[in-house]
Amino acid sequence: MIEARGLSKRYGELLAVDGVSFSVAPGEVVGFLGPNGAGKTTTMRILTGFLPATDGSAAIAGHDLFDDPLAARRSVGYLPETPPLYPEMSVEGFLDYVAKLKDVPRRVRAQSVARALERCGLRDVRRRVIGALSKGYRQRVGLAQAIVHDPPVLILDEPTVGLDPIQIREIRALIADLASERQGDRARTVILSTHILPEVEAICRRVLIIHRGRIVVDRPLEELKRGGASLEEIFARATSGEAHEAPAAPPEVRA
Amino acid sequence: MRHVLAIAGRELQSLFASPVAYTVLTLFAVLAGFFFLTGVLQFQEYIIRMQSFQLQDQLAELNLNDHVIAPFLHVMSVVLLFLVPAITMGLFAAEKANGTQELLLTSPITIWQLVIGKFLAAAAFVALLVALLALFPGLLFWYGNPELGKTLTGLVGLLLVGLSYAAIGAFASAVTSSQLIAFFLAFVMLLVLWMLGFLADLGAAGGGGAGSDAVGDVLRYLSSAEHFESVVMGLVDTKDLAYFAAIVGSFLVLTKAAVESVRWR
Repeated sequence: MIEARGLSKRYGELLAVDGVSFSVAPGEVVGFLGPNGAGKTTTMRILTGFLPATDGSAAIAGHDLFDDPLAARRSVGYLPETPPLYPEMSVEGFLDYVAKLKDVPRRVRAQSVARALERCGLRDVRRRVIGALSKGYRQRVGLAQAIVHDPPVLILDEPTVGLDPIQIREIRALIADLASERQGDRARTVILSTHILPEVEAICRRVLIIHRGRIVVDRPLEELKRGGASLEEIFARATSGEAHEAPAAPPEVRA
Repeated sequence: MRHVLAIAGRELQSLFASPVAYTVLTLFAVLAGFFFLTGVLQFQEYIIRMQSFQLQDQLAELNLNDHVIAPFLHVMSVVLLFLVPAITMGLFAAEKANGTQELLLTSPITIWQLVIGKFLAAAAFVALLVALLALFPGLLFWYGNPELGKTLTGLVGLLLVGLSYAAIGAFASAVTSSQLIAFFLAFVMLLVLWMLGFLADLGAAGGGGAGSDAVGDVLRYLSSAEHFESVVMGLVDTKDLAYFAAIVGSFLVLTKAAVESVRWR
């Protein structure tokens, strides 16, 4: 469903992403970990079509990001680190606008917006102005704009950052819920970046750790934990020094 | 086209949800009323003075188009010089500050659709301002008999000037994430473009070298005020239309490049 082949991104002298390759099968929920500045956001921005890669290629749902960018972008729901919201718009008005941008056909648009409102628990605030909502609710609106066009792939960049513990629990449950949602005949594919390791254990089945622009761990969570070490220890080991664990080949299923 | 309209519609909606639109409309209406009133009073004074001096020839030459409407539209084109940047300053800068640029650039839309949508929103607002302004010369039709054709050409001229300002303002907004900087950048660019004609006149008066005539001609051609002058007097020349089309076109191309430049870095 997501196919990254040798992605690199260079900012002047800095190589932010250095030959990142991985593939995510339909229905997989992947935790994307790494220290700050490791290249998580840059990788996600490449996959969503916000930034072009300096080198390498990527495909979303079979659409190459370079050859067919519009189709690839249509297949992705993206929640950036700061949710992209217009404070002066109403929740419903905003989602309707996003649905138009994402090519949701006119006859199902109202229905799509209603479904996104329902899924994200926003029905009661749908006429409220976004700027007047609490941070937790704004994050929900951010998630709602990511799913309003019912994309097969969801890419979420630190969706629980800056929320209080109760909001974190709610948003986490919502993400788990969205991840298990059926998308036609198969489950939705999700990439979730976070610093909160228990979040990964709660939601994800596979872990990707990126460090200094390279993938250093790519394993199913179960397999990682079989070694007896906690995810925290694995993370610390993978991101300290140069001792890179050779990326293990994941059980690949082609998208 | 659907995307373009969606973007333009949302932009207008946001403009009217913020105080900016109302501030601009109010300022514009107040200034227009003030300049119109002073223009009409001055015209009246002229007539009285010329009558008292028995200057029949000059009196016959006085008319509402050349002595009230044209100067009025002229001064309003100067007012637009700082009001249009207030409308366009948020077009792209606000998206960058909001983080919504990331939504736009990861949506299945092209950058051209984005730029045209934004420009259309600003253009619609400029058209609203000009329509509002048409009420004032409209009053003169009630009490006098100005030429309709000449009046309409003048208004169309003002619309063209406003559209070229909007394209320049859109570009200024696309190069920064600060609305304040976008405003001043647009204002300074418009002011310079407007004053190029004066610069040429100064050069000519200073009696520069042999090349100064050619330079003066180029500067005069580039100046927005020069082209507006001929349109506002009721003369629509393809040369002037081409000028405004070229300004709008080239600044939209620059805007597109500026928006796209996040991807080059």
